[in-house]
Amino acid sequence: MEPHSSHDVTGLLQAWGHGDQEALQKLVPLVYEQLRAAARRYMVRERQGHTLQTTALIHETYLRLVDVRRIKWQNRAHFLAICAQLMRRILIDFARSRRYQKRGGAAPHVELNEALVLTSRPDPNLLALDDALKRLAVMDPRKSRVVELRFFGGLSVKDTAEVLKISSDTVIRDWNLAKVWLLRDLRGGTSDEA
Amino acid sequence: MKPERWRQIEHLYHSALKVAADQRSAFLNEECGEDEDLRKEVESLLSYEKSAAEFIESPAFDVAARLMAEEENSNQKHNSVTGLSPPRFHILEKLGAGGMGVVYKAEDTKLRRVVALKFLPPELSRDPQALERFQREAYAASALNHPNICTVYDVDEHDGRPFIAMELLEGQTLERRIGARPLPILELLDLAIQISDALEAAHTRGIIHRDIKPSNIFVTTRKHAKIVDFGLAKDTSGRQLARALPTASLNQNNLTTPGVAIGTVAYMSPEQARGEELDTRTDLFSFGAVLYEMATGRAPFAGSSSAVIFEAILNKTPVPAASMNAEIPHRLAEIISKALEKDRDLRYQVASEMRSDLKRLKRDSESGRSLAKPVVENQVVPFAVPKTRPSGVAVWPRQHWPLLTVLLSLMLIVLAAAVLWFVQSRPAAQREIQQRQLTTNSFEKPVNSGAISPDGKYLAYSDAKRIYLKLIQTGDTLVIPDPDILKGEKIDWETGPWFPDSTRFLAVSHASNLPLIPTAEETSIWVISILGRPPRKLRDHAELYSISRDGSLIAFGTNGGKFGNREIWVMGANGEDARKFFDSDENTAICCLSWSPTGERVLYVMPDKDGDKLVSRAVQGGAETTVFSPSELGRINELSWFPDGRLLYSQEEPGSFFGSACNLWQMRLDQHTGQPKDKRQLTHWSGFCMNNFSATADGKKLVLLKWVGHLTSYLGDIAAGGSRLLNIRHFPLSESSDGAADWTPDSKAIILVSNRTGKFALYKQALDEDTPEPIVPDGYGRNPRVTPDGKWILYFAKTGAPPTKAPEPVMRVSINGGPSERLFIVTEGTLLMSCARVPSGLCVLAGPSEDRNEAIVTTLDPLKGLGGQLTRFAVDPNANNWWLDLSPDGSRFAATPSSAGPIYIYSLRGQPTQRIEIKNWSNLLNFSWAADGKGLFVVVGIEGGRVVLHVDLQGNAQPIWEDTGGSGETQAFPSPDGRHVALQGWTTSGNLWMLENL
Repeated sequence: MEPHSSHDVTGLLQAWGHGDQEALQKLVPLVYEQLRAAARRYMVRERQGHTLQTTALIHETYLRLVDVRRIKWQNRAHFLAICAQLMRRILIDFARSRRYQKRGGAAPHVELNEALVLTSRPDPNLLALDDALKRLAVMDPRKSRVVELRFFGGLSVKDTAEVLKISSDTVIRDWNLAKVWLLRDLRGGTSDEA
Repeated sequence: MKPERWRQIEHLYHSALKVAADQRSAFLNEECGEDEDLRKEVESLLSYEKSAAEFIESPAFDVAARLMAEEENSNQKHNSVTGLSPPRFHILEKLGAGGMGVVYKAEDTKLRRVVALKFLPPELSRDPQALERFQREAYAASALNHPNICTVYDVDEHDGRPFIAMELLEGQTLERRIGARPLPILELLDLAIQISDALEAAHTRGIIHRDIKPSNIFVTTRKHAKIVDFGLAKDTSGRQLARALPTASLNQNNLTTPGVAIGTVAYMSPEQARGEELDTRTDLFSFGAVLYEMATGRAPFAGSSSAVIFEAILNKTPVPAASMNAEIPHRLAEIISKALEKDRDLRYQVASEMRSDLKRLKRDSESGRSLAKPVVENQVVPFAVPKTRPSGVAVWPRQHWPLLTVLLSLMLIVLAAAVLWFVQSRPAAQREIQQRQLTTNSFEKPVNSGAISPDGKYLAYSDAKRIYLKLIQTGDTLVIPDPDILKGEKIDWETGPWFPDSTRFLAVSHASNLPLIPTAEETSIWVISILGRPPRKLRDHAELYSISRDGSLIAFGTNGGKFGNREIWVMGANGEDARKFFDSDENTAICCLSWSPTGERVLYVMPDKDGDKLVSRAVQGGAETTVFSPSELGRINELSWFPDGRLLYSQEEPGSFFGSACNLWQMRLDQHTGQPKDKRQLTHWSGFCMNNFSATADGKKLVLLKWVGHLTSYLGDIAAGGSRLLNIRHFPLSESSDGAADWTPDSKAIILVSNRTGKFALYKQALDEDTPEPIVPDGYGRNPRVTPDGKWILYFAKTGAPPTKAPEPVMRVSINGGPSERLFIVTEGTLLMSCARVPSGLCVLAGPSEDRNEAIVTTLDPLKGLGGQLTRFAVDPNANNWWLDLSPDGSRFAATPSSAGPIYIYSLRGQPTQRIEIKNWSNLLNFSWAADGKGLFVVVGIEGGRVVLHVDLQGNAQPIWEDTGGSGETQAFPSPDGRHVALQGWTTSGNLWMLENL
């Protein structure tokens, strides 16, 4: 990305971090471009037989987005949290736009697991997961945040702990239970409504 | 579910996991008692535990990247320019793509003009009804011949895909032009009149736009407004709109849609949001919303989802435009309100009515009748300085300016000039900088800001949570109590500059979760007196920059734009007479004003899309002098124009991450012209980063915030065969740089590299002791290795600066300390030492061969020195980052030719070489054998940090620790008994230091 875009993004990220939802609209296409570029690098590397660590790639994407010099070093955690949130919005929007592209905007019906077809890993359907995560947030906001940071933001346990100001052990416990809860929710398992 | 219930479930779930699988059922029966539902719920969750192990473990981006890449490939196939180009047109370049299709710049070969070709999205072109409607509307739009409507030349289709040939516009969309900042009023009115004129022309022909929004209005380079996409969104039933713009209607099941679609729904009229039949008045509402955004920089109806926005459009009155931008004339606010009437019968009925109101307002504004003050962009608003006053005094026009102040200022200037002459005429002898640490906060609670008082007696500083005042001479420290009105508020403090009388200083408060780049929003300036008065707020929405040399003016930034604050204001020392000093347009910002030593010039930073540049300018106006261009200023993180005329600045070293290493530079600036007077000089105070410069009035003492990256060591307990590390704790607990480097053979002490005495030295620290024992106090270099018998430590001695080719003595010292002895000197490139454990007695030294294609492994004996050559292995001659580690039993060594890997296990007993590819990780930096010889602890680099992996000999990697410090030499050293791993990592701390004799 050219240097000027990183200026734009930093300012917009900041505005969005302040709750300015319009900044988000402007941010999405800019970051989306970065993600596409990252995806391109990802695929090229993969074709060449390199395995690229996704976390590293996401971090690289974050760093390309903003002019790191202008971020105070005390703000790293906050920066990562905003990035994770942003990543979630963008990936969900992306998944949603694909759905509309495929169906030409027809009434939504049950979404198959697109990702399953393409990868060998049991990756989740992003949209369904996003919805499940919203349900989890109602009951246990912190666990939902842990998933947002780890899964959407690609943050390490330690970074997640730093962002949420909880211990790494708590992050791991939250993560494990959240995963179980989400998986059950997605598979239509029952939940105690008592 | 009630929170208590969920907590109960959670607790039981984690407890049950600790119980062996076959006993869980009994455990749960016991724990749940009668509560059958509880047992069922926990059992249900537990039943998913195994299948969830891999679930969402790889980040969402993994999936998305594949999908994106796949899509990219298919797009490239479909949209290859040659296949697409209709015969009459020659496609020149792709201009952009959006929801309504892809736009190309093309040459019309028949009419010899350059046009824009817009291809409709394929899903739209497959629907015959939609296609027909699109063409009908496009033809209708093509009939519109109006200077403010983008002209449609032709509508056709090629290869089954419909396209429109239209006027090629040069400029930017109104969305970009606004860019979240209000437009200057005259420009706003000018554009608005043009838009209303275009709407009038279309409406009289019965054509409704239906999607008026800033991204559909183009502002050409000649400042003409052009409405684009006329008719494209038209649909009488509302269904087509929903199809083209999937989330744009109420009846769909997607009211929580965030993000992209908001841009469209935000400008809808209430009748459109309700899906009713539309007439031309819908465009007037949308235009009102656009006007509102032009005037305030924000859309009137905002929200995080379509549902919230719809709700606002239908039921909420937007925040009055005038309250968001004080420059808006009252009559403009009225026009906006009338256009935004929810009941269309109360709204403007026709575009011409709106146009008349706008035109009248413009006429009156130009004649100065109605506008408060037009914003003059890009211009210095100079201080008003009557000719009779001495030049260089910054004075606000006031009606009763006390003569005394003028005289005092004059005296001050004379005095300052005398001091300056004296200082500058001193010979610039080489002086040794004296430094003194003023605060000693740990990295958990770093100092974030601070300033020395001009008389040099006090230090005001903050660790974000509190403000402290320290008497520098005695070290006594007081906490400044927070003002009562902030009790219970979550705010962070930063302490700023002092007033010249050394009795007051400024501080800044802002919301606790710091914005990424702090701007004026949510930031307030406070004045704090050391005479015991409570802190007093001077101004909100202001980012503090500096105090003028005479203490009469406070400069602050406000009105944040995309590059930073767009305006610099000044106010009196008590917050009075605030007034704009500089402003900039939306493509730049202006930051960090400071006054020259005499107050004659100001220095400030102007960030724009090319980067930041440092400029100076006379206070009275005049041309800017560029001190640093963007490329020069690029890595500067702090600067200050010193009382003696020097500019001091801190610049990041190339390649440092997040500012982990900087240099302090100085340069003399001419006080009258602002031009550099000499070449910049390195002060040799470097290796860490510094900001928050402040100086005493005599310029002799400089205080700055030094952020230091530390080597920090940790100890963890090995579990699960090395694949987990538990109970990771700091060891040793210290403020200095302490890096673990090896173990004693009994696993009871670590060998430690530490700079606790100011320079790096080698220590031994027992796990049950608080302080380490020095082994090599002086001349320690790198790579210490304990010999297998535990009697000696071998290391490379320090050889000054670290060019890798310098000769390096290999030293031996008793593990109990004492004199070091030189074994021999090596002269070439990167060398590494490694030792096995008992019963093997082997130590090796490895260094590059002459042609650098191989590393030669030689035996090394603490008594006899260098022995015979053992073997060689291939290395990457260009990378110079190979690595090797001898196995604990001395039978093999692991080595990598470069950070690209792989790791080879070379046998010293004639066994075949084994190749290990680490699965899913790359960029390996170093490694050590696990004590059991069944795996390696490998450090890999990732962006922003390092990860320690446990890797088995099949290449399966398990991350066990992440060092997020971003820099430094992360390493892992397993203890010989296999119970612990000592880790060396990196952390950053902030403390204030005082420099003298600079």
